[in-house]
Amino acid sequence: MKRYLSNRWAIIAFIAPALILFGVFVFYPLLQVFFYSFTEWDGVNPAVFTGLANYRKLFDYSAFKVANLNGLKFGAVITVYQIVLATIFAIAVSDKRIHCRKFFRTAYFIPVVLSVTVVCQLWVSIMEPTNGLINAIARALGINWQQNWLGKRYEAIYAIAFVNAWQWMGYQFALLVAGMKSIGEEYYEAAEIDGATALKSHWYITLPLLKDTYNFCLLVSVTGGIKAFTEMQIMTGGGPGTATYTLTYIMYRQAFVSHKYGYGLSAAAILVLECLVVIMILNWLFKDRETPLLKRRSLKGGELA
Amino acid sequence: MKKFLALLLAALLVFSCVSALAEGEKIVLKIYAQYADDDTKIPYDYAVEKLAEAYPNVELELIVQAQDDGATLLSLAAGGQLPDIYQTGSGIFATLRQSNQMMVLNDVAERTGFAAKVYDTCKEFLYSDDGNIYAFPYAGHEYVLLYVNKALFEQYNLEIPTTFDELKACAEVFNANGIVPMALFAQEGWNAAAVYDIVATRYNAGGIKALDNGTASITDEAYVKAAEVVADLAQAGVFQTGATSTNYDQASEMFLSGKAAMFVNGQWYIPDAEKALGENAIWIPYPSYSEEAFEASKTAFCGSGSVSGYAVNPDSPNAELAAEVAAFISEKYCEAKIVLRSSPLVALDVGMTNDELPVMMQDLVATIPTMTSTTAFTWGLTNPTFTEAIGTWSQALISGEYSAQEVIDEIAAVME
Repeated sequence: MKRYLSNRWAIIAFIAPALILFGVFVFYPLLQVFFYSFTEWDGVNPAVFTGLANYRKLFDYSAFKVANLNGLKFGAVITVYQIVLATIFAIAVSDKRIHCRKFFRTAYFIPVVLSVTVVCQLWVSIMEPTNGLINAIARALGINWQQNWLGKRYEAIYAIAFVNAWQWMGYQFALLVAGMKSIGEEYYEAAEIDGATALKSHWYITLPLLKDTYNFCLLVSVTGGIKAFTEMQIMTGGGPGTATYTLTYIMYRQAFVSHKYGYGLSAAAILVLECLVVIMILNWLFKDRETPLLKRRSLKGGELA
Repeated sequence: MKKFLALLLAALLVFSCVSALAEGEKIVLKIYAQYADDDTKIPYDYAVEKLAEAYPNVELELIVQAQDDGATLLSLAAGGQLPDIYQTGSGIFATLRQSNQMMVLNDVAERTGFAAKVYDTCKEFLYSDDGNIYAFPYAGHEYVLLYVNKALFEQYNLEIPTTFDELKACAEVFNANGIVPMALFAQEGWNAAAVYDIVATRYNAGGIKALDNGTASITDEAYVKAAEVVADLAQAGVFQTGATSTNYDQASEMFLSGKAAMFVNGQWYIPDAEKALGENAIWIPYPSYSEEAFEASKTAFCGSGSVSGYAVNPDSPNAELAAEVAAFISEKYCEAKIVLRSSPLVALDVGMTNDELPVMMQDLVATIPTMTSTTAFTWGLTNPTFTEAIGTWSQALISGEYSAQEVIDEIAAVME
């Protein structure tokens, strides 16, 4: 092993395939996104360099502000819903006292394997204002509470975010369950001997030791919010007006409907930068620092010493 | 030995060529065409059947057109992979022409007699602004119709509305009785834009077409008033709650099942409406802001045809043959539309008639000569920026969540 690791040609040979694939299919297209965002380009004919014109236009576009706010709202809803519920459910199904744990594990994951289109159409029917299930239930109960979930300018984004959160919670749940399984039983046994309650065990053992998993879950949900597209495309078409636009949606509309690829790519470039910033912030927040558990260990170590 | 092998290989090559010729090897042409519903499948299948008789050596390989505003076609064009024949609308004409990926079809149109068969009223769909032919059209003038379920109006003792105020009064009665006054599928931008166009043409007959070609501005009084009227109609409950998230199937089901009194769609919906509602289904002239205006503007219609149809990739190895086939298919589409789809609104005079047209179609055909103006469907508009804006912001008006002034300002900003 040491021989291989000291041989730089062997290292290059092993890294090269992945690096080439990444370069060709990720890095090069990304560079192109930034390059064409400075041009006026219809996607077919030669691009004309226009400097910052696309960015100026984008920053002046009223939907740009709406799209960024929607990204934040979408990200916030799915992050809170998915991570909180996924944590609760993961802890529950990891508890051996809970019956039918296998059934719940499967049930929570089912929405993930469904097609996004199917899920969206399902919720469009449920939220339909005239004959939708939710309003029908309210009517049947004699409650005067008829909602136009997807037609409201300021509320539609939350309804759409909920659908995404509902579908993908199972994904976060699976990650957390897998993470919890990797935590050794001895920690919990030691905590139990020390008289810790189940809640305290999870607070001081499970959550700190799942730090990296949570980092990944947060990355997925926050960037998922910023680059949300499919749900609004299927459920509202971005409407009413531009009320459910996101940056990805602006990119799509400008590139594929208005045929202004250069302008669309300026939205894509901003999207990439925003995702990068979010990743950097989250990585900084989750940077290895002393967790409560480690702190206690080092304290104990100090005492022993 | 080498000489013997070389001779053997040469003999094999000659033999295979001769046998291929003897079998009459077929030429396969790739075609990008609509094939989604009866209105597109029946004409295509009919054309393929006729093609097999007229061109037995030609076989078509269908690539089903995606409903994506031309994005797939542009992607194929960007990669230099356009099929031999492709169906296209006016929205991406300019781009494809500029990149020299549309064959000039003038000679083929003359040689095959296609140009001579185009109705005079449809010549504008054949020739592009530079005077050349780039696509063989088959669709003639098409219209936005306001469909009405007469039985529902009779049931609630309501007159068919001729003014916006009457429309609002009808809406009040219908809403009180759990009937949707006017079902829209405004999730689709064109349906929302059609509603705005209907109202706008009451003030300026040019409607959205005049905005598209720059002869009018969205800030003109006529268009501001139209926006105010649509917003007002939305507030009065004329459109169903959630119209902007309603798709075609949902809205159509409301109308055909008697849950909605009115419906906005193109004339191609006539067979469906008559099949479900019989003689209770009628189309009416669009209401206006006053009785006088109604009478004065009832001949101003929305919708129309556009420069579109089957275009040919000039880089195709069989470009000349593909052009002939494209002309042939367009002609056969017209025949199928008339005979099999009861729609005489085609671009070519193919010498066929259908004496069993639905009543609503008969009414429309009788009305056409009296029409004084038409506009365009959104897919017939030439400015993609405007097309995107008018769909989005008409939808905003219909939602009742935006003021007319907000919408006017947004469209004006985009058009700047």
